[in-house]
Amino acid sequence: LVCVCVYSSSIMEELDVPQMRREVESLQYQLAINREKSSITVTELVKWIEGCVCEDPFLNPELMRANPWVEKGKCVIL
Amino acid sequence: MAADSLSRLSKDPCENAASFMKPSGRQTSARWSHGSECKLCRFITDTGFIPSSLISLHPSNPHLFLIGAVERAARKAVQDTTLQEAVASITVVGRVQMKTRKTLRGHLAKIYAMHWGADANSKLCVSASQDGKLIVWDSITTNKVNAIPLKSSWVMTCAYAPSGNLVACGGLDNMCSIYNLKGKDGNVKVMRELAAHTGYLSCCRFLSDSEIITSSGDCTCVLWDIETGTQKTIFAGHQGDCMSLAVSPDFNFFISGACDFTAKLWDIREGQCRQTFGGHESDINAIGFFPNGNAVITGSDDATCKLYDLRADQELITYQDSGIMCGVTSLAPSLSGRLLLAGYDDFNVNIWDALKSERVGVLAGHDNRVSCIGVSADGMACCTGSWDSFLKIWN
Repeated sequence: LVCVCVYSSSIMEELDVPQMRREVESLQYQLAINREKSSITVTELVKWIEGCVCEDPFLNPELMRANPWVEKGKCVIL
Repeated sequence: MAADSLSRLSKDPCENAASFMKPSGRQTSARWSHGSECKLCRFITDTGFIPSSLISLHPSNPHLFLIGAVERAARKAVQDTTLQEAVASITVVGRVQMKTRKTLRGHLAKIYAMHWGADANSKLCVSASQDGKLIVWDSITTNKVNAIPLKSSWVMTCAYAPSGNLVACGGLDNMCSIYNLKGKDGNVKVMRELAAHTGYLSCCRFLSDSEIITSSGDCTCVLWDIETGTQKTIFAGHQGDCMSLAVSPDFNFFISGACDFTAKLWDIREGQCRQTFGGHESDINAIGFFPNGNAVITGSDDATCKLYDLRADQELITYQDSGIMCGVTSLAPSLSGRLLLAGYDDFNVNIWDALKSERVGVLAGHDNRVSCIGVSADGMACCTGSWDSFLKIWN
C-alpha cells in the first residue's frame, strides 16, 4: 500500500485542494466497486460472442445473400 | 507504472507513507517539502486517509503525481485468467473481405463524423463535413434525404437520435446544435443550441429525443435536457480533452475517451465515474461499447486499440501490429463483437478478430484519413467516412 505525493513548491500554489479532494473521493468510489473474477467474466464474454457469431452478417455468408446494397439487376428504379 | 520504474527518495513527506519519484527530465526542479507548506500532505493526514489515489501520472504536471498500489492490487485479485487463455482453443476467423458497395458523394470537404440511424430498416445515416453541411443519406439509393447547412462549418461530430426524428452536431463553436428532421413544414431547422461548454464539442450521442450527452475539449462531458437547453449533469474528472463517447446498450452508462490517455465509465443517473481504464500511451480518439455492454474498446494515437472488461475491471487485450505506426481515428464492433473494425490515419480500416487479436482484413479505398466508421444497426454494412470527402458502404 503506497501513498505518494511529489511536488515542487512552485506548483503547490497552483494546487486546487477542493479539486484534489474531489479526485480522491472519486478514486475511493472507484476503488469500492464490485469486481467479478475474470474466470467468470471472460468466459461469459467469449461465450456470448461465440453465440452471436451465427447472427453476425459479416461472419455468416448466409445472412448476406439478400444484400440490400447490391443491385439485383442492371437497372435501378429510382 | 511499476514500482521498479521509480526511484525512492530519501525523505517522506507524510507519516506512514513511502515516497517515490518517476525518473524524468524534470526531476531536478521537484523537491520535498512538508508540514504547513504541503497542502496535499496535510489534506491526506487530516483526513486520515491513505488513498489508493491516482494511478496515472498527472499529465499536466509531471512534478505532481500520486500513485496507488491499492487499485492495482484489487484488479490483480480478480485476474484469475486472461483472454488469451480463454480463447486458446478457438481458431482465428477466416480472412474477411468486403467490397465497397456504395460511395456517397456530395460533401465538398473533409468528413469528420458519421452515425447510422438506429432503425435497421431505413438504412439512413448522417454525416458531418467541414464544408458546413450535415447530410442525411439513404445509403441504398445514395440519395440525400436532407442536406442541412450549418451556422458553423467547423463541425467535429454528428449524431442520429434513436427515434430518427432528430440529428445533432457540434465542433469548434463549443455548442451542440439539435435539428428537427420531422418539422411540420418539412424544413429542417435548428431546434435547440446547447451552449455551456468552454471547449470544442468532440462527440455527442442522444439518449432519447429529450436528452443528449456531449463530450468536450474542456475535459468534461455533459448530460443535457434538450427541451430546456440546460445542463442536467456535468461529468468532470478527465485531465485532458474528452475526444469521444459511447452510450451503453441499456442507456444506463456511457464511456468517454480523453487526451489524458484514459477511458472512464460513467453512471448517467448517479453522475459519478465508476471506473477508469489506463494503459494507452497517447490520446484516446475513439471509444465504443461491446455489443453486450460488458466490455469497452478504445482506439488511440498510440496506434493500438484495447479491450477492457467492465465486470472484472481489467484490460483484456491490445490490438497492435508492428506494421501499424499511425493513430486510430475511429472504431466499431461487428454485431457479434467478434470483429473489430478500426479506422487509421494511414487511410485504411483494419479488421481485427477481437478474440484472437489478429488482423483478418483490410478495407482500402479511401484517398485520405478514415475519420469515422460505423456498423449499421442490423450489422449488415459498415460505413466509413474520410477526409477525402467521401463515405463508403462496405460489406
